[in-house]
Amino acid sequence: MASVTSPAVRPESSRNAIGTDKHTPKADQSDPPRKQQKDLTKAERRALQEKQRAEKEAAKAAGPAKGAKGGKPAASTSSAPQKKQAGGIESSKAQSTPLKMPRDAGQPTGHDQLSQSRGLRIFSHFGLQKPTSHVKGDIHPVIVRLGLQFSSFKIVGANARCIATLTAFKSIIQDYSTPPNTTLSRHLMTHLSPQINHLVTARPMAVTMGNAIRQLKLDISNSDIDMPEQDAKDLLCKRIDDYIRDRIIMADHVIQDIACKKIKDGDVILTYARSSVVENVLLHAHAEGKKISVIVVDSRPMLEGKNMLTVLSSRGIPCKYLLLPALGSTIMEASTVILGAHSLHSDGAVFSRAGTALVAMMAKHHSIPVMVCCETYKFSEGVQLDSFTKNELAPQGDPLSTYPLVCPKDDLTLQPLPNLEILNPLYDLTPPTCITAVVTEVGIIPPNSISSIPLTLGR
Amino acid sequence: MAAESMHPESQRHVDNLVSRLRRRQLVGSRQTALETVLVLRQVISKARFSHIDELIGMVKGVGRRLVNAQPKEHTVGNTVRKVLHHIREEYNAVAKGPDNTAKTAFSIANFVLLGQPKKQTGTSRSSLAGSTPHEAKESDGFAQGLRPVLMEAIQDVLDELETVYDNVSKNAKDHLHSDEIILTIGMSKTVEAFLKSATHQRQFTAIVAETGPSYCGHEMARSLSSAGISTFLVPDSSIYAIMSRVNKVILGAHAILANGGMYAITGSLLAATAAHTHSTPVVVCAGQFKLTPLWNLYHEHGALDFADPRSVLGFEEGNLVDKVDVVNPNYDYVGPELVDVYITNDGDHPPSSVYRLIKETYDDEDHEL
Repeated sequence: MASVTSPAVRPESSRNAIGTDKHTPKADQSDPPRKQQKDLTKAERRALQEKQRAEKEAAKAAGPAKGAKGGKPAASTSSAPQKKQAGGIESSKAQSTPLKMPRDAGQPTGHDQLSQSRGLRIFSHFGLQKPTSHVKGDIHPVIVRLGLQFSSFKIVGANARCIATLTAFKSIIQDYSTPPNTTLSRHLMTHLSPQINHLVTARPMAVTMGNAIRQLKLDISNSDIDMPEQDAKDLLCKRIDDYIRDRIIMADHVIQDIACKKIKDGDVILTYARSSVVENVLLHAHAEGKKISVIVVDSRPMLEGKNMLTVLSSRGIPCKYLLLPALGSTIMEASTVILGAHSLHSDGAVFSRAGTALVAMMAKHHSIPVMVCCETYKFSEGVQLDSFTKNELAPQGDPLSTYPLVCPKDDLTLQPLPNLEILNPLYDLTPPTCITAVVTEVGIIPPNSISSIPLTLGR
Repeated sequence: MAAESMHPESQRHVDNLVSRLRRRQLVGSRQTALETVLVLRQVISKARFSHIDELIGMVKGVGRRLVNAQPKEHTVGNTVRKVLHHIREEYNAVAKGPDNTAKTAFSIANFVLLGQPKKQTGTSRSSLAGSTPHEAKESDGFAQGLRPVLMEAIQDVLDELETVYDNVSKNAKDHLHSDEIILTIGMSKTVEAFLKSATHQRQFTAIVAETGPSYCGHEMARSLSSAGISTFLVPDSSIYAIMSRVNKVILGAHAILANGGMYAITGSLLAATAAHTHSTPVVVCAGQFKLTPLWNLYHEHGALDFADPRSVLGFEEGNLVDKVDVVNPNYDYVGPELVDVYITNDGDHPPSSVYRLIKETYDDEDHEL
């Protein structure tokens, strides 16, 4: 480098040089600093180099510590070595948008960041719902309460959520009064929409809730314009009650009867996590005097099997409890596998709690029949190809409660670290090939012929 | 039968190891293998024997005691068998000299004429029996002369055990390419070394399933992420859900059985079956010391080892504890049809050639200690 200096250029040159070392990667850094550096004296150049080196050291030490500020270009470029391409900055910026989780800014190479973003991007749509801290518009207090119960997972299970939602809608309808110049059949739906949106922000809509709401909308639009308001509201509430009674409660009774016919004395029934329908089936079979024993398989993140276990063992049914990884050694003892479902797709695939697919797969390998108990109102139009496209993450709420007490807490990783993310998908998709039969209130059908049931088409 | 010729100090070492194994104070395949080798070295260095068969009998006796202390820890037996194999080999090399090489060397002519490439120790044993009367005279000198050779043999075994991780991870970059998504289960030091050495040249993502109820997956995830690998920690229930996006499943093994199957940590059978359903390759990283000349023909349940049920259903669920059976097996049996390749410190082998490895590593008469 030339040692000629021109004093006039010096102030801007040093400013430019400092400016460039903050923002440019290697490609840009080659030309402008060298031009400026030619103008500085040797001593000044050395001082500048020392300053740059010190900055780099400081930033590198600070880089891995401030994981949450990954979006800042300053942090990411100063902690990266000079050979990183300009593409590295874009990828770090792109990373900051889809995810709300903290990322690592102190990645040693840009290549790392690109591949890290691929791994993260694949799971990025799983993102957690924001907690409903504020309420937009006038949401009925019942809905606010329900939203909180959903987001804190106090109410879980497709049936429970649907019944809770419909009950809440009943009280909204009773409290509703038609504004002037409009009719109930037209306005009520617009009144209900923001309530529904509030519930969806608390937790993504369940298929059961969606089907029930669709039926409710149909009933509302069919309501007679001439009927006095209170009568119309009462009629709607009665319709909702009928829906709950027919499609859920009576359907459950019919399913219990049908499924019990398939259970005989001495059966060992294996079930996974907790399904209200399966629980009723087992209790009904026991009440009818059949000598059954139950294997309850359970797994994180929800560990709902323990609730099932409590209910079953308090009625005196001999139970065995194990975690999902132990399934391989005990599956052969089971004579039937009965599972519940969150929803059923038209190709026969079952969308259910994460882990169900593993249970069904192992049972199929050992030629054990798999029965899925599911009411017809859980059927969903459309086909899902795998568990990835539509899924939910479990809350980070109280993670320690699902780990055993004997496990020392220091061994567990409960918080994300640089390079480490924690995912707890709630659902998975069981392919129709693993399922032997689906028990519905219209009978036992093979999984592929879901679409042939007129009731589901007429919904 | 070998008790009288065993030095009291070696006896103490053996007893110490036996009690530690029985009380499960010593867990982990590599750790037990190392301790076994050290104890055997102790025994052989102090042993007084006039004939090689006496030494072999002594070592077998020690081996039997160790295996009975903890039958589920298969590496103990494997190490004893390996040491015996080395002893016989060294003895044959020393005692027979050059003329033995012609019999045991592999040659196409022999293969075609005789139909077998290598004569096992069957022939050497008959020649051993024949030469007993000659060597009875030189008892002390015999033992003394043989000892350095045996010590060297044991040092070979020890070296192999110590360099297991390096050798297994030698070809890691050939098995992984960039942007791959790997699934692994639980904590296996071999798999950890494999992935860490691959990450120097390849950037990939690792998904670790936290195997319940030990939840050792957490430790693995922490260790992998600190090495710069972008890691995801998922519960076991989501193995099937994410399997459609996983490119390879890499597992560790507890013991490799003679039919090509393996014992691995619980949850491996789930991962291997799910991978098989999705046609995803299953790779097992294990050291050669895990090769066991045992078969698992019978009930998959019966061969397993059970651990403390407290980790599954603890006493905090007081009212459930006495009404419910709790099962907590330690290991799973994974059949040979579910594994695609075993990566060992001696190279890569498909499950169908594991029987060949066992034949080369151990002697036939040692299968039953």
